[in-house]
Amino acid sequence: MPIDIDDYRDVWVFVEQHEGEAAPVSWELLSKGRELADETGESLVALVMGDGVSHLADEAVARGADHALLADDPVFEPYRADPYGEQFRALVEARKPSIVLIGGTHTGRDFAGRVAVPAHAGLTADCTELAVDDEGLLLASRPTFGGDAMATIKCPSHRPQMATVRAGVFDASEATKDDVDAAAAVEEVDVVVTEEDTLSTVIERVVSDVVDITDADVVVAGGAGAEGNFEPIVELADALGGEVAASRAAVDEGWVEPARQVGQTGKTVRPHLYIAAGISGAVQHLEGMNDSDYVVAINTDPNAAIFEHADYGIVGDLHEVLPKLTAMIREKQEVVV
Amino acid sequence: MNDGWNIVVCVKQVPDADDVTIDPDTGTLNRSDAPAVLNRPDHNAVESALALREAVGGTVTAITMGPPPAKAVLQTAVGAGADGGVLLTDRAFGGSDTWPTSLALARAAEELDADVVICGEESTDSSTGQVPPGIAAHNGWSQLTYVESLEPRPDEDVLVGKRDVEGGYERVAAKLPVVVAMEFGANRPRPAGLHRKIFAETEFEPVEWTASDLGIEDRVGLANSPTKVGGMDTASPVERERERVDTVDDLYEHIMEVL
Amino acid sequence: MSAQETNGTLQLPKMQSETPDYNDAYDAIVVGAGLAGTAAALTMAREGLDVLMLERGPAPGTKNVFGGVLYTPTIRELVDVDSAPTERYIAEKRFSMLTSDGDETAVSMRPGAWRDEPHNDSYTVLRRRFDEWFAKQAVDAGVTLITETTVTGLVRDGRKIVGVETDRPDGEIRAPVVVLAEGANSLVSENEGLKDRQEREAVAVSVKEVFKLDRETIDDRFRLDGDAGAAYNYFGEGAVGEAVGGGFVYTNKRSVSVGVAYRIEDAANGQTPEATLDAFESHPAVAPLIRGGRRIEYSAHVIPEGGAKAMPDLVHDGAVVVGDAAGLVLNSGVHLEGTNMAVESGYHAGKAIASALADGRSDEAALAAYPRDLEDSFVVENLRHYDWFQQTIADDRKFLFEDLPRALADAETEYFKMDRTAKDEHTDAARDRLLDAAGGWFGAAKRAWRFRRMLS
Ligand SMILES: Cc1cc2nc3c(=O)[nH]c(=O)nc-3n(C[C@H](O)[C@H](O)[C@H](O)COP(=O)(O)OP(=O)(O)OC[C@H]3O[C@@H](n4cnc5c(N)ncnc54)[C@H](O)[C@@H]3O)c2cc1C
Ligand SMILES: Cc1cc2nc3c(=O)[nH]c(=O)nc-3n(C[C@H](O)[C@H](O)[C@H](O)COP(=O)(O)OP(=O)(O)OC[C@H]3O[C@@H](n4cnc5c(N)ncnc54)[C@H](O)[C@@H]3O)c2cc1C
Ligand SMILES: Nc1ncnc2c1ncn2[C@@H]1O[C@H](COP(=O)(O)O)[C@@H](O)[C@H]1O
Repeated sequence: MPIDIDDYRDVWVFVEQHEGEAAPVSWELLSKGRELADETGESLVALVMGDGVSHLADEAVARGADHALLADDPVFEPYRADPYGEQFRALVEARKPSIVLIGGTHTGRDFAGRVAVPAHAGLTADCTELAVDDEGLLLASRPTFGGDAMATIKCPSHRPQMATVRAGVFDASEATKDDVDAAAAVEEVDVVVTEEDTLSTVIERVVSDVVDITDADVVVAGGAGAEGNFEPIVELADALGGEVAASRAAVDEGWVEPARQVGQTGKTVRPHLYIAAGISGAVQHLEGMNDSDYVVAINTDPNAAIFEHADYGIVGDLHEVLPKLTAMIREKQEVVV
Repeated sequence: MNDGWNIVVCVKQVPDADDVTIDPDTGTLNRSDAPAVLNRPDHNAVESALALREAVGGTVTAITMGPPPAKAVLQTAVGAGADGGVLLTDRAFGGSDTWPTSLALARAAEELDADVVICGEESTDSSTGQVPPGIAAHNGWSQLTYVESLEPRPDEDVLVGKRDVEGGYERVAAKLPVVVAMEFGANRPRPAGLHRKIFAETEFEPVEWTASDLGIEDRVGLANSPTKVGGMDTASPVERERERVDTVDDLYEHIMEVL
Repeated sequence: MSAQETNGTLQLPKMQSETPDYNDAYDAIVVGAGLAGTAAALTMAREGLDVLMLERGPAPGTKNVFGGVLYTPTIRELVDVDSAPTERYIAEKRFSMLTSDGDETAVSMRPGAWRDEPHNDSYTVLRRRFDEWFAKQAVDAGVTLITETTVTGLVRDGRKIVGVETDRPDGEIRAPVVVLAEGANSLVSENEGLKDRQEREAVAVSVKEVFKLDRETIDDRFRLDGDAGAAYNYFGEGAVGEAVGGGFVYTNKRSVSVGVAYRIEDAANGQTPEATLDAFESHPAVAPLIRGGRRIEYSAHVIPEGGAKAMPDLVHDGAVVVGDAAGLVLNSGVHLEGTNMAVESGYHAGKAIASALADGRSDEAALAAYPRDLEDSFVVENLRHYDWFQQTIADDRKFLFEDLPRALADAETEYFKMDRTAKDEHTDAARDRLLDAAGGWFGAAKRAWRFRRMLS
């Protein structure tokens, strides 16, 4: 069924939250959404769903949203794809947003994939750049296969134009408007789903604090070459005041927690300095670290691909090179102190 | 009563990711004639489909949407132990993005009377991860993505999935029919047995379904794909010094310089 | 399970849960889809046999390291070589002596005849592409090719070999004949006692790198046009240092293969393959050929170097050994040939198996036509010749690889020296320098006699 795209307006940002706490990517998207809305001359709308989460709707307004839509009901806690999806469908049908931005987290991607279908929306996954063209069309760009090329995706004749966006790509907006009357800008919407309609039940949920390596200035990453001993990597990261990260191979081995994985199926980091030790430099890994200002590689194999993508490389065993490096750095620090 | 589940596993043919490297000078892909293979994450889907069949009985049917050579990935699945295969192939499917792709797979799953549809986390060539939730949405079925392991409850017609939720996990009980996306690396895919592999590659024949067989000829293909690739820019390759140093002292100096 | 069911108009997939048993469903099992294996499989398929070919790599050729020039006289009999993915035909062969001081003395051959079809049956190829194509010809002829499957051992019934064991679950499969075409690294044949573990001296190591260059750059540097290509061979200390062996540079369409091959014995004497290749690539005679090229491949491999003496028994009850696995390589420095012998041996083995099976037999005696035919072919003839060569080289290593190149360089320098001395004096000095190295007139004559066969 052809739609009249002119009926669709405004930029929506899905505020992902768990137990009342917003996922950091939500605020990153809110600030990007602000830019886009200003450019198209539309409103920026925060979509908040959960149970007892009106404070997040307020915060979204304080961080720059023109309005917040609040769907507050126990059926929305914790997150489940089907009730969230049904509620979203109803809201889109009634209010016709033009652009919808969602975080590229597990929850965000679970949600986005579900909701784009009933809306017959175009959905671009894992974007790293967003812009609007002269006609107000969303230009969603993402690295393609291997990350060497950027594909720019448009949705000329379907609405809304949806995108999931990688965490850590945009800067988060600050809460600027402290004492605005947020309440006036928040609208509680009708909840269209009931617990009886749902198809799934969360029977257990165990979540601890997640480390966030995306903001670090220095990242020291280890790969399969660490051979089970991450100590030298941890020590160097510690000496440099940086975060420990890893390739997928190291994460799969269980040497490092998944939240520290860099790459296509992990995090995107853009530190000032990225040190890759015992990492071969597979494209899927490069995709997550290629935007680092400086890359240093340590690898026993002189032909490792990582050297082609590093500023400084040394052929050597990380178990020898890193401890020496760490000692030198510590020594220097002692002198300074 | 339960006499086993109809398990459908979605498998996709992609260019071999292991063969792809970036040319540091031109920034282009060296696909070195990358052969087409089964999407790596789909091996995990096939494995969990087979394990699920062992647990609850029933059959595993592999489906793929693609041009005729995509039959090869059905052979891979059947070699590993799937019982049968369906090739969704039709010119009408050409240019489909995730919306019509998930529609075609959803319709096929319906025709197969699926209780469980198992997919991979994402495909290495388009890496959206959108198809599995899309299938669930088209059919109004429940969904479980980023699944680390499955616990079937055949007596209740429920499948419990342990999902990775970044920083922890949750266990979600989903009513059948359900669409599952297994997390990449969630299990260790079994190698194909020799005789099964020979069978899959010499005698096995999938059935072929077209878009009109599924009654969706007007809803698939480029025309029904909301997203359009507007342009491809070679991301200018990141300029790197690519300098080799010989001693840790030199490396230390360089690090100090940039810090 | 039930036959095809229909649901409305839609044909439902047939559930094929039972796995057939393929024991003795094939007439022969070929281990390894290289040149020898594929030639054998293709020959047998053409003879109407059902053949199963097992390859450990994800595709034929993916595990292959090769210099290389493919020699196609026998392949031409089996398939249409003109449609094969070759890189360039060999228009020039060049032999050069290198000293470690940077001297080069070269002889180059560009017979006009090589420019015409069939180009002396010599082509550079990328084995990854060629082997896959060649195996496809076999598959098109009816061969069943199963990849990513490594044969780990043989199945026997008493003395008779009746099948193979693979690394896959349910991995045993039986057939009347097994063709061992595993290449130089012939673990199965060795472990199963079909041949002796390779003597150290009987094996050469080879390391090779491929450099990417523009087509035009290659054409200009090597003075080539169209599909013409060059094969440069190098000897002397400047090529492989102290070791016995040589270096090579071959042109592909858009890349150049550079490598060294030498006796593993010498490699063990502290001369690492990497360092040897590195030194060769930096030699002033070689470096400009690859300058600016980007290294896209590095590989190392062994080459059997045994000659006719080291050839194992080629037939057993229920099995034959072909190609490199049977030591059928000529690596004389002047010639590095294995591809033609691999194909030739596969061809004769295939024929012999077909006629044995036609009589319902697969014992050693019934398969004996294979070694007999090979004996009559160029293969064994050439290897015999080479046995002599091997010995001569070993006896004269120092002269050939150190003294001679040195003397040649000195003599040239002397002969062409520009100064104010009369040319005659230079000529005499140059001749003396050469004679000196060769052990005087008498020594030179003796050597000339001994080496006369080298280029024959
Ligand atoms: C769909 C998909 C998604 C993926 N997503 C990601 C992702 O997000 N992130 C990711 O990283 N990968 C990802 N991968 C996997 C990726 O393809 C590679 O397999 C992985 O990056 C390899 O990790 P590695 O470099 O640590 O291991 P390897 O490739 O095994 O390399 C180890 C390196 O260590 C060197 N080494 C060994 N010992 C030493 C030593 N003592 N000192 C120094 N060096 C040593 C070796 O020379 C080698 O270069 C993905 C793959 C697929 C198919
Ligand atoms: C560096 C180098 C340069 C050379 N240059 C030349 C040249 O210029 N001209 C020339 O004519 N010859 C050259 N040769 C020799 C030539 O490459 C060989 O003689 C020829 O490839 C032999 O063919 P083959 O079929 O016997 O073995 P291969 O081509 O080695 O094939 C063996 C196949 O068996 C497979 N295999 C091995 N073991 C198993 C197993 N257990 N189970 C399943 N599959 C298995 C392998 O993966 C491989 O595909 C060169 C060799 C080297 C190493
Ligand atoms: N054309 C297809 N045929 C079969 N399955 C597919 C196809 N495309 C995607 N899938 C399935 O959906 C998963 C996610 O793919 P994607 O959404 O493309 O990243 C894959 O791992 C497959 O299981």
